[in-house]
Amino acid sequence: MTSADDAAPRARSLNEPVQSPTARIGVDVGGTFTDLVLHDAARGITHTGKLLTTPDDPSRAITEGVARILREAGLTPAELHSIVHGTTLVTNTVIERTGCKVGLLTTQGFRDSLEIAKEIRYDLYDLFLDPPPFLVPRWLRREVPERLSADGEVLLPLDESALLEQARFLVENGAEAIAVSFLHSYRDSRHEERAGALLRAAHPGIPITLSSAVAPEIREYERTSTACANAYVQPRMQRYLTKLEADLRDTGFTGALYVMLSAGGIASLREAKEFPIRLIESGPAAGAMAAAFIARKAGLEHVVSYDMGGTTAKMCLVENGAPHRKHDFEAGRVRRFAKGSGLPLKVAVVDMIEIGAGGGSIARVEAGSGLMKVGPRSAGAVPGPVCYGRGGTEPTVTDADLLLGRLDPAHFLGGEMALDQDRVTRVVEQGVAAALAMPVADTALGISRIVDETMAAATRMHLAEKGRDPRRYTLVAFGGAGPVHACNLARLLKMRRVVVPIGAGVASALGFLVAPPATDAVRSLVARLERLDWDRINSLYAAMRAECEALLVEAGAAPDAIIWQAVAEMRHVGQGFEIPVPLPGLVLSAHDLPAIRTAFFTAYRERFARIMEDAPIEALTWRLSAAAAPQDISLARAATGASATRGTRRLRTETHGEVAAQVLDRYALAPGARIQGPALVEERESTTIIPPGAVAQVDDMLNLVIELP
Amino acid sequence: MDPITLEVHWSRLISIADEAATALLRTAFSTIVRESNDFATVLMDAEGNSVSENTGGIASFSCILPRTTRAFLARFPADSWRPGDVVITNDPWLATGHLPDITAVSPIFHRGRLVGFAGSIAHSPDVGGALWGADCQEVFEEGVRIPPLRIMREGVWNADVLEMFLANTRVPRQVQGDLEAQITANQVCAAGVAEFLDDSGLPDLAELGAALAARTDAAMRAAITALPDGDYHAVQEADGFDAEKTRIVCTVRIRGDTMEIDYEGTSPQIARGINCVWNYTHAYSVYPVKCALDPFTPRNEGSYRAITVRAPERSILNPLYPAPVSARQLTGHLLAGAIYRALAPVMPERVIADCGGAPTMRCLFSGLDRNGDRFSQVLFASGGMGAAPHRDGLPTTAFPTNAGAGSIEAFESVAPLVVWRKQFRPDSGGAGQFRGGLGQEAEIEVRAPAPLRLSLLSDRREHPALGVLGGAPGGCSDIRMSDGTRPHPKSRTTIGPGMRLTMTYAGGGGYGPPAARPAAALEADLRDGVVTRPEDYA
Repeated sequence: MTSADDAAPRARSLNEPVQSPTARIGVDVGGTFTDLVLHDAARGITHTGKLLTTPDDPSRAITEGVARILREAGLTPAELHSIVHGTTLVTNTVIERTGCKVGLLTTQGFRDSLEIAKEIRYDLYDLFLDPPPFLVPRWLRREVPERLSADGEVLLPLDESALLEQARFLVENGAEAIAVSFLHSYRDSRHEERAGALLRAAHPGIPITLSSAVAPEIREYERTSTACANAYVQPRMQRYLTKLEADLRDTGFTGALYVMLSAGGIASLREAKEFPIRLIESGPAAGAMAAAFIARKAGLEHVVSYDMGGTTAKMCLVENGAPHRKHDFEAGRVRRFAKGSGLPLKVAVVDMIEIGAGGGSIARVEAGSGLMKVGPRSAGAVPGPVCYGRGGTEPTVTDADLLLGRLDPAHFLGGEMALDQDRVTRVVEQGVAAALAMPVADTALGISRIVDETMAAATRMHLAEKGRDPRRYTLVAFGGAGPVHACNLARLLKMRRVVVPIGAGVASALGFLVAPPATDAVRSLVARLERLDWDRINSLYAAMRAECEALLVEAGAAPDAIIWQAVAEMRHVGQGFEIPVPLPGLVLSAHDLPAIRTAFFTAYRERFARIMEDAPIEALTWRLSAAAAPQDISLARAATGASATRGTRRLRTETHGEVAAQVLDRYALAPGARIQGPALVEERESTTIIPPGAVAQVDDMLNLVIELP
Repeated sequence: MDPITLEVHWSRLISIADEAATALLRTAFSTIVRESNDFATVLMDAEGNSVSENTGGIASFSCILPRTTRAFLARFPADSWRPGDVVITNDPWLATGHLPDITAVSPIFHRGRLVGFAGSIAHSPDVGGALWGADCQEVFEEGVRIPPLRIMREGVWNADVLEMFLANTRVPRQVQGDLEAQITANQVCAAGVAEFLDDSGLPDLAELGAALAARTDAAMRAAITALPDGDYHAVQEADGFDAEKTRIVCTVRIRGDTMEIDYEGTSPQIARGINCVWNYTHAYSVYPVKCALDPFTPRNEGSYRAITVRAPERSILNPLYPAPVSARQLTGHLLAGAIYRALAPVMPERVIADCGGAPTMRCLFSGLDRNGDRFSQVLFASGGMGAAPHRDGLPTTAFPTNAGAGSIEAFESVAPLVVWRKQFRPDSGGAGQFRGGLGQEAEIEVRAPAPLRLSLLSDRREHPALGVLGGAPGGCSDIRMSDGTRPHPKSRTTIGPGMRLTMTYAGGGGYGPPAARPAAALEADLRDGVVTRPEDYA
């Protein structure tokens, strides 16, 4: 347990009464570490902690961690207002295929939809590619006579005895959860709901997932896949969350327990148990919420958050203080960075791109072209880069950074690790430089240039898809390697400003404490705008509103503080891609048509730079997002007061050759400090490179705000 | 230019082509573009050589576009192009082999100088003529032919030509929308190149393009050199049209670092729309070679220099104007299977068996829906892929094309049709040590108030996907009506309300002898019900 980077916590005087439960704790259970952060605005304290995750029973590390952080803060469990929890358990269950045995019931004639999938090869040239995964084998996919039309008309009534017979087969063959996915249930869920009632009565111990409940959206493959994934993780998550709550109650905790959803909102345990698949991106969402918080505090409206770790880089657009979100996600890809190689899930997630570019990304010379490639293969944490001296034998980005003078061989990870520069030089020479017939120093710079270009290309593409110009954005950099590469990435994207928050490792956990209670609802109803049945739309929105309000109140929101946002996904008749169009309210009529049409054209023009005014428009999917206001925490910190200067180091740059850069101690830099590049600002988890010509200033939150030349 | 700078520039140029592709894909109306990825964007130098291509479009298109651009340059010399020009054509012989594909090329200027071209190809929603027919006798019946012409001059539409063209299409608004999508894609590409040249300080793309082409050329030659010299043969037969069966005779000659693919002896061109023009023959010959020999090097002008393709004039693989060519894919998709079977003995680890989805099988319904709105819907679905040396063939996946499938719910929500089932076909994967991919079967009921037009494009009713190295063939295709009749597999016909059409998609061929299949794999197939005849593996 550490609290090294906290400002000295205010000591609690003995006469201070033990009272209001105002403390909040965020807990992030990752694969290796369980991170905790405690904040109590009333008492003005912030504490952080880290301990090893206990994979056999993750709640053990949580209860231990909570007890320890409370002890350090001098608080009791009764003084806790709430705990917000994020977990990789759902995503790991999907990736490691350790979920339960699921049975699937479908409309007769469609049990193979799940495996037929999109019939597309995600790599055009690879004859031997592995197909995307599916979670239910054919013999556990059973069919039931029933059929609705696209208009919701019953073409074939539900055969209830066939349904029960097929369910019996599944249960007798060991199914631990059942998913039901009937055609057009997004339009009319009566058959699925009847099936759900019959199944729950016949098999009370088996969790049932209805596709119309978990993802009531048109397109049967994606909806069925989502329902199966939910069923797949549900028994395990229900057991886990029930036990966690009981364990925390045993310690005397009386506050509320919430979980972080993939879209960055916090939710009640009930929602998490019913729809555990909504937790698939729980961890990364916290990082994006932290970036949004930093952006809000720094007054930045247009931000690209950039988190570069050991294996991947993640970028996310944060506008007006909130990360962009989307409503589909791909989990458990068979080829990690290949779009189309995973399980499609219709869940609301923070809209993030993840690419195979990290500190551990490996450089190699490709046999065919003779050119150097960097990533997506990574040395990861084990064995890690060559310079860690843990058995890594292939040159990585971090190794190149070391050779370029960006990292201090003697003081890596706060001095806990000494880096072996000679060995790195040999590996880069033998591994790549020799094959390229280039000097080692140029090769090291090349590794950096290539990985930077990869990240720039992915970011450019992500922004282009949204019709955004990177030049208007500020880059907010996180992660161990983020601050090292941020200014290069910004230069390639022609961004003028980079913000590096202090304490990259802790920043992400802040997300749990600043996230608001939030949730989403969705329905599909396909119709041309001029033929819409507004009464039906209004009743859909009324139902969604009631559903969201119940969830949010459970998650701690006051009903009158909920901010509603209605969005319809629309397109021109004949097109295949919908764009989200904000709606003027939750109660609509034909009078709103001109405004809706205008909103469509505005959104269309923003994305595609042109419109077609006389082409008919149709709407497919209707969404409602509900959120309370984001929470604020105070993080004003003080510098250590020591001298910041640590000397100078030779730094090889892309733009100015080799220069002498001043080396500074991040923790000693006080608000208002101004740094002229070239400079290297070192902190425990990372080093920020300030290139020649750039000027950095430390703001009130101890962010480094770098203006590029 | 050092190899690191080369790599950095290359990945930037590929991402520019990808950005252009994204713009095109997201604004196009054409369902063919969307579901079949029937499009491509290519960045070319000032001479029309490919410098980079988008990652996900149709492989054959990116191979043809530079050739079309050089044909444009022959008609419109380099000094006649001005910023804002767009030249288009859909001429099958100059471009991609049939009229529905429109090629659009825009010049890229940097500091007042022509430095390259941005090109895109997309399958238009309509070009008039016989909708989706393989049964025309001349190209004139197949739609409007647009010779290379400036549809836009310095940013201004050639209004007369545009009006003339659109007046001959069924859905002019969508056709124009997709043309605009292609022009937008070209603009995205041109803007990206201009910014790239500014950033890199390069005067143009000539030196960089040449350096990149040298890399891809060397990669392909190295892969060919590893194969033993020799002549390798295979014959591929298909249903063809009525009595005129298609016979592809393929000889692959390996000589050092070069490969020649020769179709001498192939069937003559016929008076039906399954002729495959030479551009398309070339593209669908080099693509499978690239997949097998050098799949991971990105493509450009150098990728295929080591490969020569020959097809006799007036053969079905090199027909002369004005042959009908509308359904040229029914012939062109067969070439991959022929080449792989020819090369299987010398590179058994790199080929797959014949694919049930080669050629693709399509049914198109058109008419009026219950609101009286005109609709036209294609059911996208594929047969099974051929088995691989280490793995079963992918079920219901197309190769060499990469047509995907849309959602049945989405299909039914825009057309008066009900799909009663779309499911795997047991026993359709060819038996083998590795089983061919499964085909599928779909049953579609017409629920329109009046009869609909139905266009069918298919093959493999009598010629299954063959196995390799001892593998058995996959199941054949079939098309049946609920009244028991079998419509002509390459016809335009009608289908009445209440009738059901059953489309049966072929399975892929097997790889290796069936008796070598591991017992556990057979058992799993039996349990899953995808194999019901264990005797096929005896």
